[in-house]
Amino acid sequence: MKTSILIAKKEIKIALREKLVLALSCIILVLLGISLYTGVVAYKQQQETITNAQVEKREEWLGQGDKHPHIAAHFGTFIFKPKTVLSLFDFGLDTYTGTSVYLEAHYQHQFMFRPAQDHSSMIRFGELSSALVLQILMPLLIIFLAYASFTKEKERGTLRLLSSQGITLTSVAWGKIIAYFIMLLAILVPFALSVLLISYWLETPDTVTDLGIRIVLLGATYMVYIFIFIVLSVLVSLKSSVSRNALLTLLTCWILFTIIIPKTIANFGESLYPLPSMKIYKEAILKDKENGLERKTPKAERMARLEKELLAKHKVDSVQQLPFNFEGVMMQAGEEYGDKVYDVHWGRLLNIFHKQNKLGSYSSLVNPYMALRNISMGLSATDLSTSIDFQKKVENYRRSFIKKMNNDMAQNSKYGEFYEYSVGLDMWKSVEDFSYKTPSIYTTLKKYTIELIALLCWVIILISLLNYSTRKTKLTNE
Amino acid sequence: MLKADGLTKKYGAFTALNALDLEIEAGDIFCLLGANGAGKSTTINLFLNFIEATSGSATINSMDVSKHALETKQILSYIPENLMLYPNLTGLENLDFFCGLGGKNYSKDELDILLQQSGLQADFIDKRVQNYSKGMRQKVGIALARAREAKVLLLDEPTSGLDPKASNEFSELLLEMKNKGVATLMATHDLFRAKDTGTHIGIMKEGVLVEKFESKDVSFQDLEKLYLKHMHN
Repeated sequence: MKTSILIAKKEIKIALREKLVLALSCIILVLLGISLYTGVVAYKQQQETITNAQVEKREEWLGQGDKHPHIAAHFGTFIFKPKTVLSLFDFGLDTYTGTSVYLEAHYQHQFMFRPAQDHSSMIRFGELSSALVLQILMPLLIIFLAYASFTKEKERGTLRLLSSQGITLTSVAWGKIIAYFIMLLAILVPFALSVLLISYWLETPDTVTDLGIRIVLLGATYMVYIFIFIVLSVLVSLKSSVSRNALLTLLTCWILFTIIIPKTIANFGESLYPLPSMKIYKEAILKDKENGLERKTPKAERMARLEKELLAKHKVDSVQQLPFNFEGVMMQAGEEYGDKVYDVHWGRLLNIFHKQNKLGSYSSLVNPYMALRNISMGLSATDLSTSIDFQKKVENYRRSFIKKMNNDMAQNSKYGEFYEYSVGLDMWKSVEDFSYKTPSIYTTLKKYTIELIALLCWVIILISLLNYSTRKTKLTNE
Repeated sequence: MLKADGLTKKYGAFTALNALDLEIEAGDIFCLLGANGAGKSTTINLFLNFIEATSGSATINSMDVSKHALETKQILSYIPENLMLYPNLTGLENLDFFCGLGGKNYSKDELDILLQQSGLQADFIDKRVQNYSKGMRQKVGIALARAREAKVLLLDEPTSGLDPKASNEFSELLLEMKNKGVATLMATHDLFRAKDTGTHIGIMKEGVLVEKFESKDVSFQDLEKLYLKHMHN
């Protein structure tokens, strides 16, 4: 260990004297600074817009005046997806998942106003987030820092001198790994502290503990990712005869990890598990609502059956004699059947999403970038599963809000009395404003078990390979 | 101190070193002469355990180098033909680093003295090695051998390419270490340096040690004739 520390000190001293490494580190730091700044600005702007719109829509809801509850159910309301504070670090899928949704009776509307729609064509190629800098550009810095870690020693002849001092190549390799890790921590730690402080400044006090744990976990995951790239770079350098070969091998790995494998997996997933078009999806829901699931129970038949059952149950001859407004019950029954249809189709869609995502998860076994990208989005609550969780909770809110309107209509109005019956502010106030809480850290991490295992496997395999290679390497040809 | 017993190294059908028997005692400077590819560097690489012997053994201080690779390296110092140090570190920083690896810690003043005693000009001590000549780097190598208090020196054509003055200074430093009881194995092309510095001389040809004698037993002219005879045969 003492030898490794000596080597680490020497490596740091040399790296600090090499202008290229310093220049690259400065570029990364500047990019991290810019991305963090733009992340904060985007977060604040969007959060402000959402908060204002939410207040405005709530006021509209409360101030809609007296009207029939079913008209209010169609007057509806808007729900805005709150930005999670860590989205300033990792934008994830936020740019593509839409920010607001219109809630009304009978229909499950799609999310609207995707931030990507407002971007210029240049930004559509990918926004500069801090996560992107750390996930894609940081490995490049590591490659430039470490590709010649052993080849340069071989080319210069210093490796023979080192080996003749009675030290093992394993301790040389670990000395280099420690040095690169410390140098990168010098970039990562101040950045992580900045994220922590900014997040605490922006976040509400009730979620700071959760936020703190998320940031610590994010930091740990990124450190593991950086460690993987350092060990990989040192290993490739050890196994390469000249620096040029090591650099080419590592750049090939980088292109494979960050561009080719993710794109291939995404395209492969789309081909293997294709999503229906939005038009087909919506039409299928409408048809099933009208004709019944699997065309077994058309709407008219369902309603007639309901009427018959209720008349028999209450032992009356007509719907007018029922002790409640049959129209309200019918509305709710139609709503519930619509929900059932929606759940079937939405479930199918989710199943396809899950299958596509599973492919991405399994690809992290051969690509640490995929593992980190997924975990990072998950911990930042900007991933697909958080988006789906939000949509589910919004839909549940819509259902309870519509049910409240329908129940009021059934309990308090009379059959055929539509324009004569109205409710007011007390009813609108009884519909609580929607609030969203992201899934717990445990729930999130459970979804990324494969990715976590993949990172662990990468660490174990690379360390084993490195130790084996350093033991087996002879200096014959150097 | 240094012993080769039937030491052989083969690369497939090619024999780089064939059954070398050699013994070097403390205070001896054994100079191995021979053309390129004669097996001189192979011998040194085998003592350094940089390559594995096909048969036979190489021992340092009665320890087999293949079984006690780290222990034997603790007591030896190696200076190759072109001692390459870290160019972005100064001579003093290089010496400090390599001494540290061997578990020797010296103050800056002590390292300064070691470098100066090894012939490095004082105004170069704190300059980066990228500004050093080959001779200066070899002197840092000698300083390192002194600092490590090496009992064995393995030198692979250390004076090759040095100017006569630097070569002479290097020889003086070797003699100084010889007087301290250091056993030295030096591969060289330089007949004059071998005769002048060595206590023993061996001539190698095609992996075989064809001649072995004490340098005091031959004149420079006889050594030259003997060497040329073997080279022409």
